Amino acid sequence: MSATKKLHPDEKIKADKFGGQMFKIGAGVGVVLLGLSVALGAGEGDGWRHFLHAYLTAWSFIFSICIGSLFFVLIHHLARAKWGIVLRRQAEFITGALPLVGVLGLVFMLPVVLGNQNLYYWTVHQLHDSQHPLFHHMHGSGKTGWWLDPVFFFGRYLFYFAVYIGIATWFRKQSLAQDADGDANRSEQMRVWSGLAVLIYSLVTVFVATDLFMTLQPMWFSTIYAVNYFSGAMLATYCVLAVMSMVIQRSGRLQTSITVEHYHDIGKYMFGWTFFWIYTAFSQFMLQWYSNIPEETVWYNYRLFGGWQIVSLVVLLGHWAFPYVSLMTRWTKRILPLLAFFAVWQLVFHYIDLYWNVMPNQQWTMIGKWNMGPLQGPPEAFKVGFRIVDVTLLVGLVGLWLAGVGRSMKGNLLPTHDPKLGACLAFENY
Amino acid sequence: MASAIEAHDEHHGESARASFRGVTRDVSNVALKPIGKWWYPAFGVALMMLGCLVVAVVHLFQYGIGVWGNNNIQGWAWDITNFVFWVGIGHAGTLISAVLYLFRQDWRTSINRSAEAMTIFAVACAGIFPILHTGRPWFAWWMIPHPNDMGMWPQFRSPLMWDVFAISTYATTSILFWYMGMVPDLATLRDRSKDKVRQVVYGILALGWRGSARQWHRYERAYLILAALSTPLVLSVHSVVSFDFATSQNPGWHTTILPPYFVAGAIFSGFAMVMTLMIPARALFNLKHIITDDHIEAMCKVTVATGTMVGGAYAIELFTAWYSGNMWEWFTFKNRILGPYTWAYFIMVSCNVIAPQFFWFKRFRKNMVFVVVLCCFINVGMWFERFVIIVSSLARQALPGQWGYFSPTKWDGLTLLGSFGLFFTLFLLFVRFAPIVAMAEVKAVSPAAHAGKDDH
Amino acid sequence: MEADNTPTDEPTATPVDHGDAADHGQAGHGDGGSDEPTAGDRELHGLLAEFETPGALIAAARKVKNAGYTEFDCYSPFPVHGIDDAMGIQRTKLPLVVFAGGAAGLIGGLFLQWWMNAHNWPWIVAGKPTWSIPANVPIAYETTILLSVLTTFFGMWMANKLPQVWHPYFSLDRFAKVTDDGLMIGIDAKDQRFDLEQTKQLLVAAGATDVEECYRDLRPEATEVPKWIYGAMTVMTVLAIIPFALAAKARRSTSADPHWHIFSDMDFQPKAKSDQAFPEFADGRANRGEIAGTIARGSLDADDAYYRGLRDGQWITDVPADVTVDRDLLARGQGKFNIYCAPCHGYDGNGHGIVPERVAQAGGAWEARNLTAPETIKLPNGQLFNTVSNGYNTMMGYAAQIPVQDRWAIVLYVRALQRGQNATQAEIPAGVQVR
Repeated sequence: MSATKKLHPDEKIKADKFGGQMFKIGAGVGVVLLGLSVALGAGEGDGWRHFLHAYLTAWSFIFSICIGSLFFVLIHHLARAKWGIVLRRQAEFITGALPLVGVLGLVFMLPVVLGNQNLYYWTVHQLHDSQHPLFHHMHGSGKTGWWLDPVFFFGRYLFYFAVYIGIATWFRKQSLAQDADGDANRSEQMRVWSGLAVLIYSLVTVFVATDLFMTLQPMWFSTIYAVNYFSGAMLATYCVLAVMSMVIQRSGRLQTSITVEHYHDIGKYMFGWTFFWIYTAFSQFMLQWYSNIPEETVWYNYRLFGGWQIVSLVVLLGHWAFPYVSLMTRWTKRILPLLAFFAVWQLVFHYIDLYWNVMPNQQWTMIGKWNMGPLQGPPEAFKVGFRIVDVTLLVGLVGLWLAGVGRSMKGNLLPTHDPKLGACLAFENY
Repeated sequence: MASAIEAHDEHHGESARASFRGVTRDVSNVALKPIGKWWYPAFGVALMMLGCLVVAVVHLFQYGIGVWGNNNIQGWAWDITNFVFWVGIGHAGTLISAVLYLFRQDWRTSINRSAEAMTIFAVACAGIFPILHTGRPWFAWWMIPHPNDMGMWPQFRSPLMWDVFAISTYATTSILFWYMGMVPDLATLRDRSKDKVRQVVYGILALGWRGSARQWHRYERAYLILAALSTPLVLSVHSVVSFDFATSQNPGWHTTILPPYFVAGAIFSGFAMVMTLMIPARALFNLKHIITDDHIEAMCKVTVATGTMVGGAYAIELFTAWYSGNMWEWFTFKNRILGPYTWAYFIMVSCNVIAPQFFWFKRFRKNMVFVVVLCCFINVGMWFERFVIIVSSLARQALPGQWGYFSPTKWDGLTLLGSFGLFFTLFLLFVRFAPIVAMAEVKAVSPAAHAGKDDH
Repeated sequence: MEADNTPTDEPTATPVDHGDAADHGQAGHGDGGSDEPTAGDRELHGLLAEFETPGALIAAARKVKNAGYTEFDCYSPFPVHGIDDAMGIQRTKLPLVVFAGGAAGLIGGLFLQWWMNAHNWPWIVAGKPTWSIPANVPIAYETTILLSVLTTFFGMWMANKLPQVWHPYFSLDRFAKVTDDGLMIGIDAKDQRFDLEQTKQLLVAAGATDVEECYRDLRPEATEVPKWIYGAMTVMTVLAIIPFALAAKARRSTSADPHWHIFSDMDFQPKAKSDQAFPEFADGRANRGEIAGTIARGSLDADDAYYRGLRDGQWITDVPADVTVDRDLLARGQGKFNIYCAPCHGYDGNGHGIVPERVAQAGGAWEARNLTAPETIKLPNGQLFNTVSNGYNTMMGYAAQIPVQDRWAIVLYVRALQRGQNATQAEIPAGVQVR
């Protein structure tokens, strides 16, 4: 791969008004729909439980794209990858939305600290009554002792975001500064530090997934859960990069820089992460199904039987089987409308996958006077319970996320002075 | 790179062709010229070690599994440890030949051939152990589904049957991929051989390869497809090996992260083994300009990455065991760290997690003696990882009657030593008779391959 | 072996090439003309031109294609990227074939497992259903990959028409450079546009550093397969049949010889089995009896009433303290009675079981006791228990088969039968009477 190319002289590489338009549209949609959602949520009369769960689902969707983009940036530096340099700046802009996403997360984090017990079951005061049937289970583990303490939990949340934002900001600043001064040494600096950054990133991501999503059902545990969440996040990131690149190109920017070869590679990664997602999902399912240990199978019992069964099948076929087979041929990756279709398709199913992960936990069971929390009682009693607020929250949060990305989208749309940009522009699949 | 391309204009491609000839000469000479004197004693030692395997296996056949240290509590011990260890070693070969190919890591071309050979020989070593472990290996063919007098079929819901399919598919694929990659180079040897025997043997193996563009077109497509198939395959093979443990209900074995954790460990140990073999080999065969220091550095980086992943998996397991609130789970991990096998646990952690951290620094990556020594530590550490997982998880189960300790016998030791003998015997035969570097691929990724193209 | 190629009938080829080719032949081989075919014994296969750089090769290939040639190919030591387009090579259909192979592997793998484990030999293991897809995934996955790989590997060689034993270009020494550093174009003489001189000029104009003619030797010794190969193949075929013939014979015949014990399979073990002679012990028996003055764990059986139906040497008439009489116990007694007692005594205990009936059919005369008769009714509970345990007359004891509690359950069920057989009309609850 020794071929290189220069940036086309007529290429529009400035973001200019693009970010501003994105901000306006996103913020408009976001504010209106969030307002509507709050109105809908207030009408539920369930102490905001459905609203909070739906909010967490939608939030985890935009959050996953942000941390996926961060990993995209880091791994590009670490592996000295050439093919995706024209996409790297977009990923950097997406990580620019991380502070906003962190603030949006406070909508469900602050209630935890302030005493609303309708999202994370382990905050329920009754659990601390030694008469509660689950008291020994929870306290025997020491989890409620200090790990699942609302204040410590909130502290960890802040710490995670501090780390994410810190890493993202440093790499974005370096990259933008390189545009200005053209210092090739910055690439070397970013490469050197990306190793450590990936290490810290991985540890934080493991705990984020465990804390925010696995503790929804605190009795259940799976060591691969975080890896599965991460693979979904990466899949979504490549889909977003595909769609975003196409939108940017339609606006007349980056016309010659991003070629079908780059889209082809995005398609390959979409295929690869689809595979890795099913690999981790299957590892988790098959091992828990095969061993048949009650404290583990409970998680699947309520998803594979009862109202959620159909959703499980939809996720399996929609998030894996159909796109997996379709993305095998080179044409789905090289015919851009097809690629766009599958990118949007996988984003929709990424959301459904998260919905399937989070929402079954919102149905809590009372036995006598005791609140037994999620995943208790007969599975047949569990219904999907889809409500319109789920969609309004998703669209609203995606709108705000777009606004966040748009706000950070200033300057060039690709790293103009990256030493390997020439190789990337000339990149060809063979 | 750019300078090499520009140079051709003056030299009319002569410099490009000279570089091709250099690759051909340096690699072909290893197979076609008389081998260095060191080879004979090395081969002798390897054969003696192989003899140990033969003796150990004959003894085992005669007296049964009782000659090993396995007992009722430690039903799986060194045998399965060795099996998982060897399968893991094999994985780096596939990773280098397939995964790095898909990621267009051109540096792989200098080492992929020998790494693939290593894969096949390691899988051969691995295959021995579960078959011996069955107790009556002469009935191993019952695992192959075939109509029989008993009207019985294999039990496909058992992870051990999955192993049979995974390992045999892996062995088949690795051999075909290796051989297919070798055909153009065998044609090179065919055309350079001076004596009749080599001409005929290499000629038959080269299948009449002519290197025509139409052949290359299909060949490259097939190579890409095989790489694309090998990648999920290599992921599945060690995952299936991990299922042997993870589908059980035994704390310490049953954990959902085991499949990717095993795969990362496999790649980690495999890279260490590749470096252990290739650093001495490139010195002995004067191939330092083909297998360069940069290639070794790249492998060191993969090693530190996968080593850290493995360390991360240890940490996740430990955290989740505590987080789960499951007393058996938590006891198993406490016992693993502080119990009777604490020595093995700390050998594992220091060799697998701490040792590779040196590779963060260029100074250590550039010191070849240091790299080889460190890689030997990693090989030992990864063997101990499997030992710790298998043996320490079985050592103290729920009932006091299920507490025990495993002590290997000399037959355990001889079998392990013998498997190394088999590995080195095959590897020494390979370096003597086969093209140890993928010449065609090295040429294809060299700057000279673009000489004379007018589009840049 | 390109024997199926029809000889070209380009008129210009034969007369012109004679002297030219002889020069090349001598220059190329350098071993005199004795081995060389004469003009009449050979035919032109094509032209082989050499180029300096990959770039030059691509440019030349494009020129040759644009000149309208189709029967030509480029030769290089490595895949030259860009040449496919220059030569106009169509993308291979191999991926489609591989996809079909993989699909066959997937379906085949699933079918294999369904047919063997769920259909032909359904057998539940580890509580998994016989047809349990999650557990069948790994093997179906491996068979998918295996068949894809085999299709790729063999499909590629088939599409490339390899292995091929010989090709005319191999007769040129120059061609050996292709696996080293040579970059060449070969144009077949059978191409419609082939004309020796014009084609040569085209190649030179395209930048060839050297152009060489390639001839195929038509003499019998060069084209015919040597006789010894036929001989060797015949011998090998015969040898290959022998094992199958032996196996077929073995299946059709019997043998008085014992098995060959290649592996002993634990058939011969140095241990004594029950009731065998064993000279090492003083009494010469393998069995070791109980040691005098000891009682085995759990065999004390101190409660006389419960274990033997006795109290102070008398049959007990009540039930022992350890037996709680309730509906469950009677149901248990009924079950055991129907298993162990009913064959002789009959389901209602009147002695007309299936065994006495068979005896009668066979012309014999033997009856089982009528358990509901007055003389049995008056027997004490302890004696009935003793009879169940130890037998009476021709009846054997059931102590070995039936646990103590169940024997008491039988005794009490017999009491229930006796009560039922001798009940008065008035004792039957209203609503269950049969009129």
